[in-house]
Amino acid sequence: MAAPVPWACCAVLAATAAIVYAQRHSPQEAPHVQYERLGSDVTLPCGTANWDAAVTWLVNGTDLASDLLNGSQLVLRGLELGHSGLYACFHRDSWHLRHQVLLHVGLPPREPVLSCRSNTYPKGFYCSWHLPAPTYIPNTFNVTVLHGSKIMVCEKDPALKNRCHIRYIHLFSTIKYKVSISVSNALGHNATAITFDEFTIVKPDPPENVVARPVPSNPRRLEVTWQTPSTWPDPESFPLKFFLRYRPLILDQWQHVELSDGTAHTITDAYAGKEYIIQVAAKDNEIGTWSDWSVAAHATPWTEEPRHLTTEAQAPETTTSTTSSLAPPPTTKSCDPGELGSGGGPLVPFLVSVPVILALAAAAATASSLLI
Amino acid sequence: MDFRAGDSWGMLACLCTVLWHLPAVPALNRTGDPGPGPSIQKTYDLTRYLEHQLRSLAGTYLNYLGPPFNEPDFNPPRLGAETLPRATVNLEVWRSLNDKLRLTQNYEAYSHLLCHLRGLNRQAAAAELRRSLAHFCTSVQGLLGSIAGVMAALGYPLPQPLPGTEPTWAPGPAHSDFLQKMDDFWLLKELQTWLWRSAKDFNRLKKKIQPPAAAVTLHLEAHGF
Repeated sequence: MAAPVPWACCAVLAATAAIVYAQRHSPQEAPHVQYERLGSDVTLPCGTANWDAAVTWLVNGTDLASDLLNGSQLVLRGLELGHSGLYACFHRDSWHLRHQVLLHVGLPPREPVLSCRSNTYPKGFYCSWHLPAPTYIPNTFNVTVLHGSKIMVCEKDPALKNRCHIRYIHLFSTIKYKVSISVSNALGHNATAITFDEFTIVKPDPPENVVARPVPSNPRRLEVTWQTPSTWPDPESFPLKFFLRYRPLILDQWQHVELSDGTAHTITDAYAGKEYIIQVAAKDNEIGTWSDWSVAAHATPWTEEPRHLTTEAQAPETTTSTTSSLAPPPTTKSCDPGELGSGGGPLVPFLVSVPVILALAAAAATASSLLI
Repeated sequence: MDFRAGDSWGMLACLCTVLWHLPAVPALNRTGDPGPGPSIQKTYDLTRYLEHQLRSLAGTYLNYLGPPFNEPDFNPPRLGAETLPRATVNLEVWRSLNDKLRLTQNYEAYSHLLCHLRGLNRQAAAAELRRSLAHFCTSVQGLLGSIAGVMAALGYPLPQPLPGTEPTWAPGPAHSDFLQKMDDFWLLKELQTWLWRSAKDFNRLKKKIQPPAAAVTLHLEAHGF
């Protein structure tokens, strides 16, 4: 009865000893993580093995040629991104795993690009950053905001990783803001800073909901309406002014109109029957810069009821639209001689206006030669 | 060139006192007043004009002061040694200012600033620069008159300088040349910031004030003008 118990004890002891031995000599530790620079050379030793130990190296489970070996060490020259992976070295005969290296090939960070903007004046501003070139390995960023000697909190954006927000506590400050950013990864470190006055970074978001509509019975008009950007918190005390640009799709040159207030404008010099593209930008009345252009609105001025192509009445219509596209473009300057000729709109035939212009030019030339 | 003695300070103090009272005079001549709306607009327009004028004046003056004052990234700490009226204000406080306080702050600020401007007595400066400075001073005085007009139209009393709080300088220890230049630098900076602030102040006033003309005329009569 007493005999089986010591045998069981021995068996358990032996098993434990075997496990301990196995653990000591085939380490199941997590692979060693290593970061190396793109283009450099690296030598990976096989853990604690002797230089002359017989080992085999695998990368991501695939055999590596033995000409890369220097004894038991793996030599990789001119690292490329494709060299990243899990390298494992095994004892050649027993296939006993000696060592694992998780290699990441990357670059140290270049100087980050930092910019700040206030599209919610006077509530606050945000700063965003990025690296001009990828590093291929994880980076950490650290942003600090100084107002004179006071440190301000930059709250991380909930959605965007490379943006943070600062709230204005004081307005109309003569002291500049200084925003510094440092970036670091396993291979290096870089930093930059920008300094600016409160007013210079004000730039609203573009106007929203730009809609252009034809005006009934007016073949040369387009009515444009828009809304102040929803991010601008206080248009009453901080009114915006607007800049409108429009052109027919067939031409490259834009017409511009600056509007000091109101969110509507009627274009009165549109070419009949031509599709227009219209955009609006916004700016604080006194400070900062213009917003980006809004999403474009398209519209065609009102034309008479379209008729079928087979009717004769179509002929004068086509003549009208061709002449209007060839007549000199009307500008906002009322003293332009071309405008006088095209005051009647598309009804003035091209062939008549050319001699008129030539006559005017000749008269002007004679007059100037008389004056000299 | 060292005549910054008691005489000059006394003269300056006297001048400042005179200027303090001067803008009240034009207000007395108001007749047939159509309401404060147009004069608020006029005051707003004046701030824009002054801001434009200041831009070129500041550039010339900073060049006259020389480096580092005329360097674009010159960013000195504000020591507060100068007694300039600060435009900076807490956002919520600014928003909740009542009209009278808003106007008073503007009026007092430009009175102070005008005083300091007149003290920019640079014998060494070019005649052209002195002319620009003088012209700018006149414009600021015009702005003061305009603000006074708005206050009168709304029935607010002009801030009277109390004895002891007048914008005078005590003839203190002579400033070093560099410190004097720093003061000049901050004066120009505060002027610029105040003009931006005033534009916003008057925008706010524009939206809020729409009193009927009859009520305003009554106000003027009540003040015995």
